[in-house]
Amino acid sequence: MIAYSLAVGAGIVVEAWLLALVILRGRRPWLQATFAALALTLVVNGAAFIGTSEGFLGPQWESAVLWTLVLAYPLTAILVLSLIHGETVPRRRPAVFLLLALAPLVVVLTPSADWAVQHAYDFNFLGGFLIVCLGVALAEAAYERLTSPLFAVDAFWLAFGVVTLIIGGPIYSLEFQDLGLLQSAGSNVAAPAALALFALVLFHADPFPGRIPGRGPKGAGVGLLDARQTVVFDEARPKYALHTARAASQAGSPVLVLARTGGVSYSADLGVGIVSLMPSRHGAARALGTVAEFFARSPGGFAVLPDLDDVALMSGWPQTEEAVLRLRGVCRDTGSRLIVSTAGLTSREKDLLRGHRLEWWTLPDPSEEMEVVLAQSFGPGARQLLESFSRSRGARRQDLALEHFEPFLQFLERALAELGGPAADATANEGLRSQASTAASALRAFVARTPKDLAQGTWPSRGASGTDRGILVTAADYWKGKEMDELFSVASDLGERESIFEQTRHVFVEQFGEAGEGVLRSELSKLGKAPGDLQREDVAHLADRAAVDLEAMAEVVDVPQEKLRIRQQVESIRRRLEAIAGDES
Amino acid sequence: MARRMVSLLARSALLFLLSVVLVFGFWEHRNFYQIGFTNLLLLGGLVTFLVILGFRLALSGDLPRRKPKGELAFTLNEGERLLRGVAELTVRPAEGSELPLVGQWVWAKYENGGAFGRLLIVDGTRKILADVTDEEAREAGYESAADLRDAGRIRWKWTPRDLVTVLKVQAAGGKA
Repeated sequence: MIAYSLAVGAGIVVEAWLLALVILRGRRPWLQATFAALALTLVVNGAAFIGTSEGFLGPQWESAVLWTLVLAYPLTAILVLSLIHGETVPRRRPAVFLLLALAPLVVVLTPSADWAVQHAYDFNFLGGFLIVCLGVALAEAAYERLTSPLFAVDAFWLAFGVVTLIIGGPIYSLEFQDLGLLQSAGSNVAAPAALALFALVLFHADPFPGRIPGRGPKGAGVGLLDARQTVVFDEARPKYALHTARAASQAGSPVLVLARTGGVSYSADLGVGIVSLMPSRHGAARALGTVAEFFARSPGGFAVLPDLDDVALMSGWPQTEEAVLRLRGVCRDTGSRLIVSTAGLTSREKDLLRGHRLEWWTLPDPSEEMEVVLAQSFGPGARQLLESFSRSRGARRQDLALEHFEPFLQFLERALAELGGPAADATANEGLRSQASTAASALRAFVARTPKDLAQGTWPSRGASGTDRGILVTAADYWKGKEMDELFSVASDLGERESIFEQTRHVFVEQFGEAGEGVLRSELSKLGKAPGDLQREDVAHLADRAAVDLEAMAEVVDVPQEKLRIRQQVESIRRRLEAIAGDES
Repeated sequence: MARRMVSLLARSALLFLLSVVLVFGFWEHRNFYQIGFTNLLLLGGLVTFLVILGFRLALSGDLPRRKPKGELAFTLNEGERLLRGVAELTVRPAEGSELPLVGQWVWAKYENGGAFGRLLIVDGTRKILADVTDEEAREAGYESAADLRDAGRIRWKWTPRDLVTVLKVQAAGGKA
């Protein structure tokens, strides 16, 4: 008996360790709570069993063994279902909680003669109850194993855990009883193994690291998307998805953006917290866990998935597709809103997603629309204007989003102001200003349109037909190009001058050649800054950081002359960056 | 040859030990196994088979996660860059191609068919070709994004608007 008690005792240590691990490292309170309930029950069960078996505790403690045993099995069923359905178990599978509610009833209905630990696994009402509990858990796990691409592997481990409990509990008990070796009924020597498997599955669906926003004011962001709505934003780059996230955040709604950070799409400051997608084989399950946890914490909130393609690369498309569909269910249950962007999805993936009859909004690319609107006033030079503006922001033309429209108009104003010096042709300038004003109105009207409105209607690039373009008289045509060319030239100079990124880039490229830009971008990513967001005050930090990193690079060089040369380069970069930072004054 | 013999002997010794443990287990549980000869033959045979199979997998080191599944084909230059550690990214067409998932091991092969090693897919993302940066192109072993686009235009008939998959890989040895 001592050997068996030692095995159960070792199991208690493992269970306590698993409990601490899940409590400390887990990030989904519902799953942690159900896991903790089961683990604690098993710890108490094991301790009471050892105590009564070895005589440390009185026979009255046998009821503690029995009670914890009766509780452990329904809790197992609840945990297994929670690991599959997450926080939605109370809504999706409420019947499982009946098992827990039945526990006291089992006490009342079972004849007292059978209510002894040694009869726990006999063919009586109690034994039947325990079998039903494990049967529910096993059936759900087996069903998911067969039907769910997302949970197929995890469902296997869950089923394995339940089978382990069956073998370690009833089967071992019957075997020991048959052999006449010892009375193990009431304990389960395989409990730590089963708990370890459940913990493994729990961590597979753990949210990605990052702050998950909490509850926000009720009714915030209602105008943007209806509650319980899941919408697919069909766009080449996730610009409208992120724009809507920003708008929802400004309206006071809790917003979660689950995205791959550092990409060009996020060069504009979002103003909302981003939870970063990290490379993981369980990417789809973790994405599901992250968003489901957010919806559970902030019912009615906005979740935005701009990088679904990255999730598909981590876990596969069927798993990703299922994660989206499960999230649609969570979204409905919690009255939340979900935006999924198709950016980066292949045409086959889009077709498969479309087959689920999700609300589908096809949207334009704002940078292309910007060019089309500007072309109506400035002809082919519109592209040149946008290139100049993009350069001033350290971005590329295709990265321009709705948030850049207003800064662009200010940029255009400044270019026109520089053009309109004392020697300028007043009439021509007036004409240019008039054209710029027309373009500004058209751009503002475009920005004001909601994604829903755009999806249901048309937009400039769709509306502007080739025939119209042929008869359109632009400012460029009207002013015979001279003043227009001057405007483009001024805009180009302005772009060069205004770009802090360009200035810093020149410094790095001058010292390190083409590789300098890579070094600069790497330093910027360490600062958490996109090129377009770089401000003069950041350059001082950049100078310090780059000096430290590059000094470290010099340290590993063995050749003294080379070491000296790199140090001189570092010093030169530092001085010049400080000069740029000091230009502010 | 001697190394293989030592390895074979060690594995055989471990398998023998396992067999001893199994027989000991049957002896210990002899009363419980009074379930009838046919039942014991079938159930006991199945359990023994599974135990030995699991043990063999563990011994061979070819546990399912580490075993390469699928392959990625490279030109001679690309393969060379990967082996020398100059490149750690590879850019592939996203449309119409079955690519390995993150965390998966694949065989790295030359386009003419010869395998030159195993690759672990460390990370991956999809991009419009025009959005691939110079830095990414350099990490893929090209001089610039323009150079990558030119190579892609010839090899895969890419246009700047095409969707591509950028995979971060880690090369490991081992011949197929």
